[in-house]
Amino acid sequence: MKKKLSFILAAIMAVSMLAGCGGAASGSESESASAPAGESSSVSESTEKTPAAKDLKVHVFYYDYSDIYISSVRTEMDKQLKEMGVEVKNWDGGGSQPTQTDQVKTAITAGADLLIVNIVETSTSDPAKDIVEAARAKDIPVIFFNREVADNEVINSYEKCAFVGTNAPDAGHMQGEMIGNFLKENFDKTDLNGDGKISYVMFKGQEGNAEAEARTQYAVEDANKLLTEAGKPELDYYDAGASTKYLVDTAGKWSAQAANDYMVSLLGSYNEGNNNMVELIICNNDGMAEGAISALQNVGYNKGVQDGKELSVNIPVFGVDATDSAKALIKAGSMTGSIKQDAIGMATTINTLVKNVQDGAELMANTDQFTVDSDVDKIRVPYQMYDGASEG
Amino acid sequence: MSNSSESLALKAKNLNAKKVGSALLNNALIIIMLIVAGYVAITQPSFLSASSLINLLSLTAAYLPVALGIAGCIVLTGTDLSAGRAVGITACVAASLLQSVDAANKMWPNIGTLPIPLVILIVIAIGAVIGAFNGFFVAKFKLHPFIVTLATQLILYTILLLYVQQGNNNGMAISGLSAKYRNFVVGDPPILNFADGKIQIPNYVLYAILLTALMWFVWNKTTFGKNMFALGANEEAARVSGVNVFATTIAVFALAGAMYGWAGFVEAARIASNTANTGVNYELDAIAACVIGGVSFVGGIGKISGIVIGVIMLRLIFVALPLVGMDQNLQYAIKGGIILFACALDMRKYLVKK
Repeated sequence: MKKKLSFILAAIMAVSMLAGCGGAASGSESESASAPAGESSSVSESTEKTPAAKDLKVHVFYYDYSDIYISSVRTEMDKQLKEMGVEVKNWDGGGSQPTQTDQVKTAITAGADLLIVNIVETSTSDPAKDIVEAARAKDIPVIFFNREVADNEVINSYEKCAFVGTNAPDAGHMQGEMIGNFLKENFDKTDLNGDGKISYVMFKGQEGNAEAEARTQYAVEDANKLLTEAGKPELDYYDAGASTKYLVDTAGKWSAQAANDYMVSLLGSYNEGNNNMVELIICNNDGMAEGAISALQNVGYNKGVQDGKELSVNIPVFGVDATDSAKALIKAGSMTGSIKQDAIGMATTINTLVKNVQDGAELMANTDQFTVDSDVDKIRVPYQMYDGASEG
Repeated sequence: MSNSSESLALKAKNLNAKKVGSALLNNALIIIMLIVAGYVAITQPSFLSASSLINLLSLTAAYLPVALGIAGCIVLTGTDLSAGRAVGITACVAASLLQSVDAANKMWPNIGTLPIPLVILIVIAIGAVIGAFNGFFVAKFKLHPFIVTLATQLILYTILLLYVQQGNNNGMAISGLSAKYRNFVVGDPPILNFADGKIQIPNYVLYAILLTALMWFVWNKTTFGKNMFALGANEEAARVSGVNVFATTIAVFALAGAMYGWAGFVEAARIASNTANTGVNYELDAIAACVIGGVSFVGGIGKISGIVIGVIMLRLIFVALPLVGMDQNLQYAIKGGIILFACALDMRKYLVKK
């Protein structure tokens, strides 16, 4: 009896697994325009109803599904590609370059027509080079996006290869400008202990990542420049004895949790009681900013502003990305500002290139309206400042 | 008379149904695997193309060494959480010793590029030492391997973080590997090269096959292998019958470590970019592959063929799910479901035996 029962259970599991596959396959948007016509065994009936102009099989490789900003890009990409009638398949690299490399190779063997890669590894361009080589062997175009392939040679080595992303240092410059301008107006209010200096902490997302390096450096440098011009003292790192002027997420995940852990332990010895409270918090991304804010809120800070009245002392916190949750915090007055990476603009730009491939045009056709580097096919999507006065 | 023969026939039929049922159950995973593969092949015919199958084979080969190593620890009713970091360290060491002379930020500019066999020996030795260290604490202090390797995993991470900051590297990824090294591991063209280069099987597949044969021999044909299974099944009984428990435990972990060393050597060239994050969580995939393949946490049970099937199964999930348009968010749940299902099946066999 037991045996029978367990067999039935096993059978049900097996069947439901398959049903799961089938259901997801026919229901998922990624299958909407799939399978060449005339393939009698196709499971998905809907394919015949939506014949695409050209059955372009696009594979998109995201470096990590758990990244907030990347998720917003993914949502937008899925929407736009669906409207374009392209067959799209998404892969989650899970933050691991080996995984992603394996995924790319798998997609190529599965007959991908176009690879859109959000590369995991940014401190060296070798994995990107590997991907380009593999794509070249099958004559498949490659579009890298968001996480920059630093080595222009890699992009230039293959005519069907391009990069769409921001100009990494700009986020740092813009964040620095924003901080500088904010402090020029609110210096005395920010200087909680009235020692004439602003003590700050910097949360860095990842060691060895070009964007993280640039943001960490320029946010402080540019803010200092503005402060010096205005005759104010430069920013002062909260721990004079520290070997680096930042605290880094050692897992390299730019995570809220890492910033939160640092902030909680930091508040133990640096607080208003000891008259050495950290007066300014600069973060490489909004995730880390949120982590820091939640630590502050737990000890009664950054409760925000209501009807023009501050609910508590609000330590200025700056991030990058302008994610929805960060925008909400900024609107509530718990966070001061962020730099917006335009997810929609990013997706639109990438899909301009996808359209080119779909139409059989040159990969870099119709890109006059964008900012393109002069010596390499890299399209730069501009950043924008986001603070309480911003719309949306 | 007719009644009894009828009941006999009924009995026989029941027996048959039972037999078929249990045969189905015992091979449920392979059956599911074949069904999944069949389903993918029907919906995505390109899945059966030579390049796609080689891709699956290569992926399996890449993840096999760690699983082969960790399986020994599981046979001893233990586990090894330090495998991933051990792969990370050995990968970074191998890469740093085999950077090409003109690599952009060569970690050790003064050593040139060491001979490949020497580096293989070095990383396998490093892996074996890490493993022996684990084994020593398990054998000497009777600590559960989970705890010992949880600790060493953390210690290794520190060593790894420090190592990548040595020399000229400053915590950057270690890349710019010598062409000879990549050629040795991946092959350009590889040794197995058919149809005018259209079918190229990377060299590390060949190495993985050799390694599997070697491990099969060690597990099944040597005294050490027999001691390992005896120890895993019942430590007291093994001790009484003259198995040197201390030495066997250390040797099993050291052998596992040597496998991680080899895996690190291959991974470094396969991925071509090595950071402190290289290898992270490899142990989880390897443990999952082992338990799916019937290497039991009960101890003393396991087959090399099972491990190979377990690794193929996991790689098949990795390859197949996105191909059939499965939402990538679901892949983790499906992996989890299969692990749970496989272990439940496995325990069921054990409970029946009891």
